[in-house]
Amino acid sequence: MKQEIRITAYKCKACGQIHYPYHDRCLACKKRDFEQIKPEGDAHLLAYTQIFNLPWGFDVRFLVIGVVEFANGIKSMGQIQVDSLEKLKTGMSLKPYWGPVRVEAEEPVYGLVLRPS
Amino acid sequence: MSLDMELESVLRAPALEMPPYPAKVITLANSKQMVVRQVRRFEVPVLLDAVRPTMKIEKDFYDIVGARLYAELLGWYRHRVRNEYCLVGQIDGYVVGIVNGRMVDQEIGMSYHTMAIDRGLKVGAHLFAAKMEHHIEFLGQQEVWITAESPIGFRRWMIEYDLIQQVGVQHELGGATSYKLTRDLYFDSKSRLVAGQRPVPKAQLDYALENLFIADEKAIREKICGTLGGQP
Amino acid sequence: MRDVAIIGVGMIPFGRRDEDSLLDMLAYASLDALDDAGMSEKGVDAVYVANMGAGILQHQTSVASALVDRLSLQPAAADTIENGPASGASAIKNGVLAVASGYYDTVLVAGGEKMREVVGWKATDFVATMTHPEVEYPYGITLPGMAGMFTRLYMEKYGLTQEQLIAVAIKNQKMGALNPYAHVNMVITREGIYESPDAAVNNPVAADPLRFYDMCPVSDGAAAVILCPLEKAREISRKIPVLIAGFGQATDTHTLQEREDPTDLKAVTLAAEQAFRMANLKPKDVDVAELHDAFTILEVAESEHVGFFKKGEGGKAAEKGETSINGKIPINVSGGLKSRGHPVGATGVAQVVEIVFQLRHELVPKRQVKDAKVGFTLNFGGFGNNVVAFVLRRSE
Repeated sequence: MKQEIRITAYKCKACGQIHYPYHDRCLACKKRDFEQIKPEGDAHLLAYTQIFNLPWGFDVRFLVIGVVEFANGIKSMGQIQVDSLEKLKTGMSLKPYWGPVRVEAEEPVYGLVLRPS
Repeated sequence: MSLDMELESVLRAPALEMPPYPAKVITLANSKQMVVRQVRRFEVPVLLDAVRPTMKIEKDFYDIVGARLYAELLGWYRHRVRNEYCLVGQIDGYVVGIVNGRMVDQEIGMSYHTMAIDRGLKVGAHLFAAKMEHHIEFLGQQEVWITAESPIGFRRWMIEYDLIQQVGVQHELGGATSYKLTRDLYFDSKSRLVAGQRPVPKAQLDYALENLFIADEKAIREKICGTLGGQP
Repeated sequence: MRDVAIIGVGMIPFGRRDEDSLLDMLAYASLDALDDAGMSEKGVDAVYVANMGAGILQHQTSVASALVDRLSLQPAAADTIENGPASGASAIKNGVLAVASGYYDTVLVAGGEKMREVVGWKATDFVATMTHPEVEYPYGITLPGMAGMFTRLYMEKYGLTQEQLIAVAIKNQKMGALNPYAHVNMVITREGIYESPDAAVNNPVAADPLRFYDMCPVSDGAAAVILCPLEKAREISRKIPVLIAGFGQATDTHTLQEREDPTDLKAVTLAAEQAFRMANLKPKDVDVAELHDAFTILEVAESEHVGFFKKGEGGKAAEKGETSINGKIPINVSGGLKSRGHPVGATGVAQVVEIVFQLRHELVPKRQVKDAKVGFTLNFGGFGNNVVAFVLRRSE
């Protein structure tokens, strides 16, 4: 079953600035009214890295993590499922999924997962 | 010590033939050259001088690693451990690290201990990699069984080599969790983890073979315990 | 507002200090600073302690109250200041404001952290608690990971090269080897970490494209300073007073993703501008600087953002030796965080202590910037979301 991407971003009703994560006041105009919006379309890769020496809680050798921008302007961090950075390039399109990103208290924690299209 | 060779022949089990480990030289991060070579049995008494001081160092479990390594090397020297080998790292003749293990049979290798005396230059990591190289490439074994007695060892070996946990399999070092490195895992990680060039220039190798220097006890303690000088 | 001077400094060697508790380290550095100020048996009006994580790492809180008790400084006012890795400079800034306002005359600021209490991956997790708890931390992002992403963007935008970062690492480890307070006292070479066939194993990728030797170590340590009004400095201490000529602090978005240009460290620029404006000085007036090189990329980027070099020129300058002790602007002559280590609560104080040594001309010739009169420090919190800068001046 395809899981909905459970990211809710906040678009300022006054100036249109998109926020993710939530801010109580708009970063740009300081107004407080927001429209809730969901990510749309593919995600374009803005930045990425492959991290070794992981924190407590990850029993894998490395993680590939990146920041993407969805077609409607929402930006989010996510885990990228590739075995080599050679498959990535800034600006490329990635397919977003909602999947397990870590385990806490033996339960999966879900988040944004990205795979090359 | 005089030996009753009749009794000794009962105690000494027949050993497997073990191909030698060909020496290599590794250029460290500070450009120092570390020769990695196999220890000859007659050198063990000298090597024990490097291990003895570590038995009193609790930090990072050097005491338990030192005590067991001492016993293993003495056991090899006195023919009480079968099919054992030992590799050392030497810089300018000085011993900076020791690793050992043994062949259980033609297929399985048993990794014993890894001890870095000089810290901060990845000496321990380079020597552990040399040990895996020996089991897989030169002894021609299918797998190496590994366990860890310190958190440093656990992180470095289990995660970096993607080792396979062996539930219910007893490692010779005791009841700690047992892992194994297979040939496939070794060759997958070789380019990341195994350094060194061969052959070692003759003069450099001859020097290492002729000069097995051991730092004095105070220096060894300072190298291991000093608050200064360590890379993380 | 009164002018504020530093009249005493203290520091203990950073490293792995298994034998000392956090309080031991803070006490040793504080006693050192009190002695240096000639106040060995005197009290202070207030104590500010910089510490990021005793609550997590040592299961200990109210560290400032505990330090007052250790040093028998009662009834001094005492506050613990937490601002991530910029806690040290934040605590000094609060001490400066307290003295400048006229409310307190003598203030002890001590910064300390004991990070080697836990295994490396727990220390990494502790530092990662600075990231956003909902949209960053769950993914396993670490501060080195943030720096890795930032580095790639910087390389793409400005043509920064790995060779330029290596030049920073080699310079800082060379200088750290001369610093008795440094955690790492080991010289590294370009051959050993970049050119030799074994270099890739010696210096593996840590957070691509950053490698092992681009990172600072995880350390224990503490440092302390004594502040007083400049007008009273000569009455209290025989040491040359060092004037806090200017300070600045600025913040930026918690997450990198919400910055218009993630390669632009706005808080660094703003904090430095404020500090220079207050001091009525310019970046070109600085004789020696301590920048927050938790990763080599940060030294390069900060050297540009504070105004020592144009954007995109910092890496080239480092490669040409312009940031070495005899260069145009000596940066991290102490060895920086890269060699001294980065006990997070201590770092901002340690940077100021190093500059005080420099401005008092107390260092051995190989470490002393000749005739240094103006110094600069930059303490970088989070991934540039809370930054504190100081301009310090030798007071003749």
